Amino acid sequence: MITRQISIATPIFLLIFVIQEAVISQFRLPGGGFSILLIFALTWAVLSQPEVAAVIGFSAGILMDLSQSASGPFGQWTLIMLLAGYAISYIGYGDDNIHANAIGIVFFVVVANFFVEIAYLVTGALLGVSTGSIGQIVITLIGMSVWALLVSPIMLPLFTRLHSLIFDSRSAL
Amino acid sequence: MRNGGEGRARLLLVILIVTSLFLITLDLRGVKVIEGFKQGTQTVLSPFQRAGAVVLNPVKDFFSDVTHLGRTRSQIEKLEAENANLKVKLLNRKNADAQLKQLKDILDLAGTAGYKVLNAKVISHGSSQSFSQTITIDSGSNAGIKKNMTVLSQFGLAGVVKDVYPNSALIQLASDPAFKVGARIAGSQQIGILSGNGNRSGSLQLLDNSTTVKVGDVLLARGSVANRPFVPGVPLGYVSQVSNSAGAVAQTAVVRYYTNFSTLGVVAVVVSGPTSEPGDSLVPQKPRVTPIPTVTVTVTPTPAASN
Repeated sequence: MITRQISIATPIFLLIFVIQEAVISQFRLPGGGFSILLIFALTWAVLSQPEVAAVIGFSAGILMDLSQSASGPFGQWTLIMLLAGYAISYIGYGDDNIHANAIGIVFFVVVANFFVEIAYLVTGALLGVSTGSIGQIVITLIGMSVWALLVSPIMLPLFTRLHSLIFDSRSAL
Repeated sequence: MRNGGEGRARLLLVILIVTSLFLITLDLRGVKVIEGFKQGTQTVLSPFQRAGAVVLNPVKDFFSDVTHLGRTRSQIEKLEAENANLKVKLLNRKNADAQLKQLKDILDLAGTAGYKVLNAKVISHGSSQSFSQTITIDSGSNAGIKKNMTVLSQFGLAGVVKDVYPNSALIQLASDPAFKVGARIAGSQQIGILSGNGNRSGSLQLLDNSTTVKVGDVLLARGSVANRPFVPGVPLGYVSQVSNSAGAVAQTAVVRYYTNFSTLGVVAVVVSGPTSEPGDSLVPQKPRVTPIPTVTVTVTPTPAASN
């Protein structure tokens, strides 16, 4: 079952990855911009069971590691996204306060987006990846969170609909 | 767990974590398979990025202008559409003119120093999700670009070639936090290391603690062995602030880069360095004040006619 779902979801992930690299990356947005793939993966992770969310995070992480802008070693994003996917699903799955309303999901995605970037910074520091001055990091973190807050509600209906189509759940909002 | 038991879910999670750690280990050990995988992805992506750059270039400039158009009325809708179309054309023309100017300035800079350069268009700006500063250009190994070549903008150093693919190349910008370049101060020849900060300013650390640096000093690249990754004499920026902390081993300063990294449209990759050391010949000229002729008009009141 899970294999079939993941195989259907793979082209969607690839499409979003191409959109991120070929379209979103064309715009040098203020505050560091946003990653549509990250928002997409986190949204799906919130809506999925923990083991499915882990696989979603793993797949998204591999694609994020393949991105030309990934500065850390290959596998860093994979590990972070895998753990993030599992963690947010573990916390939120089955809680109707989160799933039943769009605000809950958006809140979860924005907070997760922030903590994922923090986790990237911390693991990057452990692995010796340079990340710039504190001021610049703070600006980027705030900027990315604001962008996630703006983009998530717009994309949420599409992302939840796709999730419900593939995973056959009642997650469409 | 809910479906299939808790043991299976845990096993899956452990397998995925081990796989991630395995990938990190392979990459840190420099295994070529991972490198090839990334190269293949970039080769597949570059046509999409090129198409995206062509399609979105006028659109992203158009967004700011379209908001200024007047209210839509049925009689003038056609004219407005025509107007918008002309605006797009004009923006395209302005964009082409700006790129032409950038190209001319780059060629002037390269010509003065005797660098042999290869021009390329920027087709993608890297996302900041990984706190890195990169761009992608539309030329790669097929055009003769190799890893660790210097990349110039019209004002000076833009970055260095980080990865090369057949038809594109990834450039690490000088603003990238991981970027470091050996610098010397024009005139005094003091040397130091300039590092990126993630924005248009960099950090300079002088190597000799007995030397001093002052605001306005111009920095040039020191150059590397066999001119890779850096050719000598490329303008980097100027000192905008000097830090004088008492406990510091060597003096540090904040440097403002000449290159505006957010407006890069055309860059030049230095494929061959100069035959002779260019010295300080590339130091940007300070703007000269052009004297404006003034005309003084003296009005003398004529005595009022009295009748």
